[in-house]
Amino acid sequence: MNALKRALAGVLAAAATARAQDVRLAQRLDKPTYVAVNAIVDSARVAKLPTAPLVDKALEGAAKGSDGQKIVLAVHQLSVRMTSARRVLGTSSSPDEIKAAATALDAGVSERDLERVKSAGGKRPVTMPLAVLTDLVGRQVPIATATTLVVQLSRSGVKDPDLALFQRNVRADIDRGADPTVAATTRARGLVARGSTSKTKPAQ
Amino acid sequence: MIVERVLRGNAEAFGSLVERYRDRYARYALHMLGNREDAEEALQDAFTRAYRSLARCDDPERFGAWLFRILVNRCRTLGARRGRRAKTFVFDETALLSASEDHPAEQGAWREEIDRALQRLRPEQREAFLLKYVEELGYDEMSRLTGVGVSALKMRVMRACDRLRELLSEVHSA
Amino acid sequence: MRDDDNVKIRDVARALREPVRVDASFNERVMRVVRELPKHSHLSFWRRWAMPRTITVRPLAASLAAASLVLFALVGLWHVSDDLDRAAKPIAKAIFPPKVAPEQHVQFVLVAPDAKKVAVVGDFNGWDPSHLGYQAQHRGGGVWAVTASVPIGHHRYSFVVDDSLWVADPTAPRVVDNDFGTTNSAIVVEEQR
Repeated sequence: MNALKRALAGVLAAAATARAQDVRLAQRLDKPTYVAVNAIVDSARVAKLPTAPLVDKALEGAAKGSDGQKIVLAVHQLSVRMTSARRVLGTSSSPDEIKAAATALDAGVSERDLERVKSAGGKRPVTMPLAVLTDLVGRQVPIATATTLVVQLSRSGVKDPDLALFQRNVRADIDRGADPTVAATTRARGLVARGSTSKTKPAQ
Repeated sequence: MIVERVLRGNAEAFGSLVERYRDRYARYALHMLGNREDAEEALQDAFTRAYRSLARCDDPERFGAWLFRILVNRCRTLGARRGRRAKTFVFDETALLSASEDHPAEQGAWREEIDRALQRLRPEQREAFLLKYVEELGYDEMSRLTGVGVSALKMRVMRACDRLRELLSEVHSA
Repeated sequence: MRDDDNVKIRDVARALREPVRVDASFNERVMRVVRELPKHSHLSFWRRWAMPRTITVRPLAASLAAASLVLFALVGLWHVSDDLDRAAKPIAKAIFPPKVAPEQHVQFVLVAPDAKKVAVVGDFNGWDPSHLGYQAQHRGGGVWAVTASVPIGHHRYSFVVDDSLWVADPTAPRVVDNDFGTTNSAIVVEEQR
């Protein structure tokens, strides 16, 4: 397929996706809500933010039987969080990273904390570290502690599968009655000391 | 293909699908829910949901099965919401949804007993019994429709049959 | 009992199979609602052909990866014969560039002994509890499971029990959802190498 065909196909794909999303929104939202949500989605598209998460948020609200006002508010707030997320993570961040960061912001993680996680990861995607951070915060590990732990793990070069394992272990410990902070700190220490990669020295 | 015509924007074509599937699925809804009003509501709801999400019907050739699945779910939701009714509407020739008009009186009474016994089954047993014996589906298809495993479905059918026999024997011996 | 048991059940079934007449006004009532709804467009039609659906064939790779976050119990070779999908793939490749997000098969498991129905909903299926392909099957002992396609990337999801109860996955990372008052779960699906 030559370049022109690819470009055309890309435009068609984008248009089809946008139209398909519109159709789903129109099917599931009442008219005023649809108009309001569509406006937010259009603005996001113009600002080159990922629009799928906004559509999904509206669909989620509809599926959960929320009223139109709540849905519009939720979509708007997500759009604001995604704007902040992209500002912190940079314009080359992926839609998944922006989604994960917006979710972390919603959990109470600050933009400053996001920045720290981003720098600790270097060029590696921050999707998984942010998902783990959000989970720790959701399990009542104080935000500052959770951020510090995730930053340390990232700086030590811990890879995504090991981060996932870390999250699972912390969860299991908490389920068995451990204090969330103690569980998270202990497991993180163990992971960093073990040095899950051959690269950088473990952090102290 | 009617489904494809609807997807291309011909909403009126959907009327043919309503006509085609209405009676058969009305029968299921009526037996499942036990009364005309609920059955009509579930059926109408199922059709409108099917229209709304028609683009997600993977295989237009199997639209009927796909629609039926929606109806089965609607009946479950409606049944759960409304709870069991003490009094069920079972046989009324003047009603919108009714059995064939050439039932003589004694057959009418027997039908009433069957319907009454059916409504006394647990919902999941009634559902399994109707799908197996009235809709005459195979267990694999029933499993796809309900999301329940085959062995669980067989158990439900068996229990439904036992219970129906029990209830209907009580009637006979009364 | 005088009668043969099977005959009695057959009699019952035969009686229940009698046709049920529906008033002709029913059709009009349905169509009145349908006419109020947005019409499907030709793009709805083409979208079905253009987006490959649930079937992805991938070679068997490492058996488990990122098991905690993702509930990968099984990633493996998956052959499914599906006429629509076989027809859709060549058309999809011709019209759209091969940049559709690749998918992985992910197993979702929920223990819910009292449930009658369990579905997985998330941003990968429009949060639709009736979406085919995401309906869990009861495996026995209250264990509900479904292996479904999830695009690679970060997603939020939940279980819906009996069409009414939203349950976060207890084994997955949490996402506190302040917008609609429920807790969702997060999943990060990574490409298998």
